[in-house]
Amino acid sequence: MKFFKLFAVAFFLAIASSCTLDKTDFEAELETEVPEYYEFEEAAVLTVENYTIHIEALNGTFYKGYNEIRLHIKDAHTNTELSSSEVTFLPIITHLAGDNASGPHQYKLSYNATEKYYSGYVVFPEESSQGNWQFYISFTDANQVFKGTQQVMVETQTNKNLNMASFIGADSEQYFIALVAPQKPTVAENNLVAGIYKYDKPTTSAGTFPDPSQFSYSVVSNYTLKLDPRMPEPSMGNHSSPNNKDLTQQNDGLYHGVVNYTMTGNWTLNLMLFNQAGQLLKGTVVPTDFTPGVQGVKSELYIDTLF
Amino acid sequence: MRYLLMLLFFVVSVAAQHTATHRDSIKSLEEVTIKSATKNKIETEMKMAISVDEFLSSSANISFIKRGAYAWEPLLNNMSTERSTLTIDGMHIFGACTDKMDPITSYVESNNLATIDIKSGQEGNMHGSTVAGSIDLKRKSTAFSENALWKGTYQSGFEFNNKQFFNLGNVSFSSQKWVADGSISYRKAENYSDGNDDEVNHSQFKKFNSSLGLAYKTSDLSSVRVEAIFDMAKDVGYPALPMDLWLSRAVIASASYKLLFEKGLVKVWDSKVYFNAIEHYMDDTTRPENLVHMDMPGWSTTYGLLSRINLKKEQYSSEIQLNAYDNLSIAEMRMYPQDRSERTMFAYSWPWVTTRYAGLSMNNVWEISEKSQVNVGGSLGINYNYSKYIDFNWIFHPGAPQEKTRFLPSLNAGYIFDSNQFNFSIGTGYGHRAPSVSEGYGYYIYNSFDRYDYIGNPNLKNEISYEANAAAGFKTDKLSVQGKINYFYIQNYIIGRILSMGSPMNYQSVGVKGYTSLDYATLLNMSLNATYDILPHLHWNGVLTYARGMDDNGGNLPFIRPLSYQTSLHFMHKNFGIQTSINGDFEQIHYSPEYGEDETPSYTIWNISADYSFKINRMKAVVQVGAENILNEYYSTYADWGNIPRMGRNIFTSLKVNL
Repeated sequence: MKFFKLFAVAFFLAIASSCTLDKTDFEAELETEVPEYYEFEEAAVLTVENYTIHIEALNGTFYKGYNEIRLHIKDAHTNTELSSSEVTFLPIITHLAGDNASGPHQYKLSYNATEKYYSGYVVFPEESSQGNWQFYISFTDANQVFKGTQQVMVETQTNKNLNMASFIGADSEQYFIALVAPQKPTVAENNLVAGIYKYDKPTTSAGTFPDPSQFSYSVVSNYTLKLDPRMPEPSMGNHSSPNNKDLTQQNDGLYHGVVNYTMTGNWTLNLMLFNQAGQLLKGTVVPTDFTPGVQGVKSELYIDTLF
Repeated sequence: MRYLLMLLFFVVSVAAQHTATHRDSIKSLEEVTIKSATKNKIETEMKMAISVDEFLSSSANISFIKRGAYAWEPLLNNMSTERSTLTIDGMHIFGACTDKMDPITSYVESNNLATIDIKSGQEGNMHGSTVAGSIDLKRKSTAFSENALWKGTYQSGFEFNNKQFFNLGNVSFSSQKWVADGSISYRKAENYSDGNDDEVNHSQFKKFNSSLGLAYKTSDLSSVRVEAIFDMAKDVGYPALPMDLWLSRAVIASASYKLLFEKGLVKVWDSKVYFNAIEHYMDDTTRPENLVHMDMPGWSTTYGLLSRINLKKEQYSSEIQLNAYDNLSIAEMRMYPQDRSERTMFAYSWPWVTTRYAGLSMNNVWEISEKSQVNVGGSLGINYNYSKYIDFNWIFHPGAPQEKTRFLPSLNAGYIFDSNQFNFSIGTGYGHRAPSVSEGYGYYIYNSFDRYDYIGNPNLKNEISYEANAAAGFKTDKLSVQGKINYFYIQNYIIGRILSMGSPMNYQSVGVKGYTSLDYATLLNMSLNATYDILPHLHWNGVLTYARGMDDNGGNLPFIRPLSYQTSLHFMHKNFGIQTSINGDFEQIHYSPEYGEDETPSYTIWNISADYSFKINRMKAVVQVGAENILNEYYSTYADWGNIPRMGRNIFTSLKVNL
């Protein structure tokens, strides 16, 4: 019996040890490649006379691509925040060569009365390494117009799920497509949100700098963005997913669709942009064949994502 | 115990006479009266040192899907393991491999099993809902004895074809108060060679198994017992798959309490709590030719309870069993890009799927006369599923419920007539089963047989089986003939169908299939078994089986065994025995190209073995030498994945010593 007791002790010790390999922590897995921007923090502050303008962005940083911005304008004398001001916002990059450019942006900011801030967006097509970004801000208080400028830094977009694309369409117009959501995709049906903008070619010659009419952009309406997501890795053989939905414009002006990601990794959103009349502006149909070992062919218009 | 055993239409007892068998072969199922004290050895006439798979294959309604030399998936009544309940002493255990590379038969070893109890169709509802029936692996448990008693068995052998070397050891101790059973085994095999003497790469395996049971008699009529099995397999190759097993590990533990009653209606009350944890790690580090490096780890953890009472009063006896278990199945896949610095690609093939089941089963036997009896049984189960990462399932089935509860009723009835010369039985059954984890929640599970990625469907309906069975036999002193037939009409038959949407994820696959329900499918199984004693020491045995499975369009179902036969002669003289057998399948006419099958040609295998019993210092010993597939036939069967050839000529030797 003693033999059995010893055997029993050894036996249960052997089997009581835990799993050989740890299970994957799925939540942590999703975070490895995706920095999360979920909190608005102060990104810049400027003083115009006795007013202080606080500009907030997610993580307190401006990134290439789509950025939502929030402004608080404070009167230092009365120590109150303005709530009925007319605020305009114009971002301009001055390239090293000296020429100026901008990106799609909301020129007239809107006021969010419940949260008490002025809000807008800006799509930076370039980073600060390409030139010097300045914000030209004007606002009114007591029928008086105040103006200020502030230099900002635009950083490289580290979250590939917020990538953007810009191109000249078949109609010779310049278009911008910037991903807005999901910031943190998962292996699931993801609601895909993108902003689609067009550069409004100036009809008048430039006035005094900065002339907003030279840097005007608008949201295109009732376009369709056809979607075909695929994994470009050769080993994935042009793998795609089912039940995706093309992006169409919703009430918020943004374009909404559905992308299904079947696994984590590198994905390419192959796109085709059609205008209201159904005319193809950019993009090509990609092959649907399963081709293991071959790098996936991308549409002429695509945005890469990674999570 | 007699009434209990009378219930068993299909008891596999290899110790019984006239059941010469062989691996990959079939034999008829006989009703065998087992006295409760005697335990049957896990061995066949042909070969005394066999694996659990080889032993199972010696039963007529079991066939196998083989992906290599190891861990064959048992098919009961030509139905895969989702449709049958596989248990060890009534304990539910679920494999952790999405590709069904680890049926629970791979987590035991022949030297810790006493018998395997196979019941066909709804008669197998005692351990939970089923369609095909149940396979219960019964472990060895030594009885309490008056005097302290030590016993042991040691078995060793070598098989030349795949250089398999094995050592199996058993030891038991019994006394008035205590019983202990222990076993330990190790098998190591290299690649086997086919009938053309070509080595089949990636067919090696190593397996270690150990078990321990301790029982204590708490009173004259009660005892407690704790048992555990630890099994570990390493470096197991699957020639039919693009990847191999690095490690699998199983811990199977239980504690039970048994109470006997001398008077009254209740005779036995036996309760058990159990736990098992399976880990199964597959990868393709041994396959440098693969385009994608991929890991596929899986885990399956089950907690369960079962409680059984046996009732008997005069001609009536009954068995009532409560089963409950909770299983969590997790399977992951991670693919590595060619550039290893790039992001790996990850998905769950089982997105943390919980299955909870609780059911009450009952079987009643009424002995109308000495020769005839009626059985009526039924069960009602509740099956609950929960998929933690339901997002994965939503990709193909948007809005599918995360939780699903199903009710699983089952009914069966039968009549048995048994006189000395004739026996006859008829039976019928009705039962539901819930979809398995893969069928309900699987996600891109690569099936290398038809080369499709399979997607589960949480909205699948219960599969509903209607069955009828009959058997008839005739017996004289020398001759016995037994025929059996059963027929299943299965509503909502679950099977994979090509999906028009989605594209494959695994680079070897050609498309995506989703589990869907056919309106119905039908299955017919028949077997005929005959034995004849030519001389007092010369016995002949022959078996013929036939099965036919069809879907609702009259198309063929996959994995249905073609007409097959087996015939054997067994001669004994004093301490010497010699057996020879021939078995084979006819051409597979009714194959199913839709499910990846091609026509498998017929084959015939001839085997021979001889054994000699002797004594060394009062220890009984048996030595055996034999050869399988003597003619070195090159063949593969209808159920061999990727038409991987079976083993060619194999000479085996073994020695068994009873200490």
